[in-house]
Amino acid sequence: MSLPSSMLRKIVLNFVTWSLVAVIAFPLFWMIVTSLKPQSELFRIPPTWLPETITFEHYWRLLTETPFLRYFRNSVVLATTTTVFVVLLGTLGAYSLVRFKFRGRETLAMLVLFTYLLPSVVLIIPLYLMMVEIGLSNTLLSLILAHTTFALPYALWLLRSFMEGIPEDLESAALVDGATRMGAFRDVILPQLLPGIISTALFTFILSWNEYLYALVLVNSDSVAPLTTGVMSMLISAFNIEWSLLMAASVMMSLPLIVVFAFLQSYLTRGFGAGGVKG
Amino acid sequence: MADVTLKNVRKSFGTFTALENLDIEIRSGEFVALLGPSGCGKSTTLRMLAGLEFPSAGEISIDGRVVNDVAPGKRDIAMVFQSYALYPHMTVGQNIAYPLRKRGVPKDERAAAVQKAAELLQLEPLLDRKPAQLSGGQQQRVALGRALVREPKVFLLDEPLSNLDAKLRSYMRAELIELHRRLGKTMVYVTHDQLEAMTMADRIAVMHGGRLQQFDTPDAVYNRPANRFVASFIGTPSMNQIEGTLAGDTFTRGAMTVPLDRARFAAEDGPCVMGVRPEAVTIGTGHVAATIRLVENTGHELIVSLALEDGTRLLSRVEAGRRLSIGQTVQITFEPDAIHLFAPEDDGARLNTDEDASVIPMRSH
Amino acid sequence: MTVATTNTPLLERQYARLGALLIAPTIVVFSLVIVYPLLAAIYLSLFSIYTPTLEGDFVGFANYWDLLSGREFWNSLRVTLVWTVGTLSLQIVLGVGMALLLHQNIWFRSLARSLVLFPYFLSTVVAVLVWRWLFNDLYGAMNHGLMQLGILDMPLDWLGSMPNAMIGVILVGAWKYFPFVVIAVLARLQTIPDHLYEAARIDGAGPIARFWDVTLPQLRSVLVVIILLRAIWDFKEFDLIYLLTGGGPVTSTQTLSLLVYQEAFALNQMGQAAAYSVGMMLVMLVFMLVYLRKTGGR
Repeated sequence: MSLPSSMLRKIVLNFVTWSLVAVIAFPLFWMIVTSLKPQSELFRIPPTWLPETITFEHYWRLLTETPFLRYFRNSVVLATTTTVFVVLLGTLGAYSLVRFKFRGRETLAMLVLFTYLLPSVVLIIPLYLMMVEIGLSNTLLSLILAHTTFALPYALWLLRSFMEGIPEDLESAALVDGATRMGAFRDVILPQLLPGIISTALFTFILSWNEYLYALVLVNSDSVAPLTTGVMSMLISAFNIEWSLLMAASVMMSLPLIVVFAFLQSYLTRGFGAGGVKG
Repeated sequence: MADVTLKNVRKSFGTFTALENLDIEIRSGEFVALLGPSGCGKSTTLRMLAGLEFPSAGEISIDGRVVNDVAPGKRDIAMVFQSYALYPHMTVGQNIAYPLRKRGVPKDERAAAVQKAAELLQLEPLLDRKPAQLSGGQQQRVALGRALVREPKVFLLDEPLSNLDAKLRSYMRAELIELHRRLGKTMVYVTHDQLEAMTMADRIAVMHGGRLQQFDTPDAVYNRPANRFVASFIGTPSMNQIEGTLAGDTFTRGAMTVPLDRARFAAEDGPCVMGVRPEAVTIGTGHVAATIRLVENTGHELIVSLALEDGTRLLSRVEAGRRLSIGQTVQITFEPDAIHLFAPEDDGARLNTDEDASVIPMRSH
Repeated sequence: MTVATTNTPLLERQYARLGALLIAPTIVVFSLVIVYPLLAAIYLSLFSIYTPTLEGDFVGFANYWDLLSGREFWNSLRVTLVWTVGTLSLQIVLGVGMALLLHQNIWFRSLARSLVLFPYFLSTVVAVLVWRWLFNDLYGAMNHGLMQLGILDMPLDWLGSMPNAMIGVILVGAWKYFPFVVIAVLARLQTIPDHLYEAARIDGAGPIARFWDVTLPQLRSVLVVIILLRAIWDFKEFDLIYLLTGGGPVTSTQTLSLLVYQEAFALNQMGQAAAYSVGMMLVMLVFMLVYLRKTGGR
């Protein structure tokens, strides 16, 4: 008697869940569908839910006739440099914050958390003035520096909680076994921290890759624009909006993210556990 | 020759004083247990010997050299941690070889030393495994192997057996005693388990509240406890301690009077505490009446819980097979030679005069 | 630490020096790009600065007087609160519900999880482009879909009129950020010991009673942290709203972040903008202090 009812329950549960998932994923589906539709099919009323003909012409145009590749390159440089810089600083900083005693350590940790919650618009006006002053406005370097304002507290916070998860005895054992502090860091802590570092690096990369406001304010020359402002300018500057082209750009822009999701998703979930939502 | 010395060591964390006036001299080749309840400062003491904590005052020396400013790796010590602290990303072989690698020992010598240690601890088939693939007992052996591979002057062991199950623990206890005998190295062993301390150590340092209470052989710690704390901490079940008054040749508590040989005690008339181990409380004859409240049979003996007329509780240990029933009133005797007297304070000193010359009063100023 | 360092052991001093050395680069960068700008923002708020020339005069608290007496700040604060409360409640309800469903043993669970998490990591620019296309009044899938389902009978102007614009922004915000709630709640759900449910079942609790008496109390602490964190982040959100509506129609979706930006870079009043940003920060400070209190810096 209980078998059919539990089966029914399972089917209902799956139906409800997957319907919701479908609704949530629909915009993503629609993005891909639109990017593959020929221009003629795009403005059909009512719209075709599945494309009748599939074309890659928009992707081709995006790569050959627009500055998309330049934006992409700028974003890669920007996000990679920010990530390397921030993770390097953050790893050393987190080691210091967790495993060393010095005056002001607790205050510093609080300051990190505080800045991690600080709104960007508060910093943007002085940062803009500062970049103009030192002649860095309209450069990728100015964006890298600006991105550290949110990426460094974030990375430091994540790495700190990863670091706290490494048993202190391991480091003590290495010291007794003859290692120096930095030797113990290299031989024992770093290998243990590696998953945390990867996770932090992915998060930092995504944050920097997706950032819009600083790019909007600090960079107005098209040659150093990253993807976010670059693609938006394609929307704003066009006389009539080419949605297919924009959707193709959106898909391309999400490419690194899709790669991360396909292969490294566990690192993202791990980062969440460390990122202050442990409860 | 003293191998390890702590001279007037103090350790405070902020305003909290964890250790005070600590003086310990450990002889070369000796097996010393640091014993005490949690929070007594025994682990802090060990970590200071290792160089992982720093004394706030005082001097620590190893093999005649003051090591206060010497890094842990240069103290010629090895340490086994309660958590074993095996490096998870290294194989067993790499774990054992690590201290040698850090000392620049050439590769082939390293391999030979690892091989030797592995043989000694029967770890050869496990050398290529990662620590996570080992059982608790095996991890324990690897930790030992890593400690003894470079033949240090002093071994420091921080509750190394506390994460093992009871059976394995008693087996490893025997192994460690054997290992100490074979290596002849100084070992400092932290434990909260008096059985481990009593069975393994040459001398036991009993600690409580950041102070050394007594530092002596297991026999002396048991039979001539320096004060009330040591008397109650060592021995299961604990020594009976009865508060009362000493006057002339008798100790009185309520209606109970116990005759004493005053020559055995350096005590003055007045309030004091009488201590008698449960095995020195005999049931059957005597002139003190008591009621049996509980009888616990451990198989080879009975632990009898008694109440005096005024309600004072006492424990007695008698041989199994005795017919004793709850509620029964019996006469009891305290064996006169086994009576201790203590000053009445919580940590009151023992007032017997039987201390032989080898027992040094360890309470320092 | 508090005592003079003269008799601190050599090793301890060496370690402290190494520790300071390791954190030094971070402190330098922090002071340069965060602490200095933060103080500069407060300083600038006392000036009247014309953005294109960056020339200005000291005006004392005049900017703050304008903030208090003018309508802009208060209007934006109200808009910000409507947006924050609206999108946050949707995120929590959707997030907890979805987490409970995904915690069940459904078919292709990991695929479902990936699909649900994806919007959170998506660039806001991409999210906005897709949603603006969905909201398109002539060809948008939203209007046609809802019309085909019989929910609407004529196309709606989603982002160009009120209250649709606010609803649209809140919806997109919820869609983009609810996965955060899902992940955090899912992680917590996995740590609730099974024996609690077994005990409740033995006591005769049905599924609904088990949710109220076992699941929800266990989720409470994590929900408090999530709500505070998301409230802070939603409160300061810029990209999503700016790109969707630009604050419009007129100023009906102009949150505080947008107000600061527009004052500085559209109206060219940098000093006034700095004053707005300081005001905004003071409001946020309340959330932050509660968060710090609740989490104790964890």
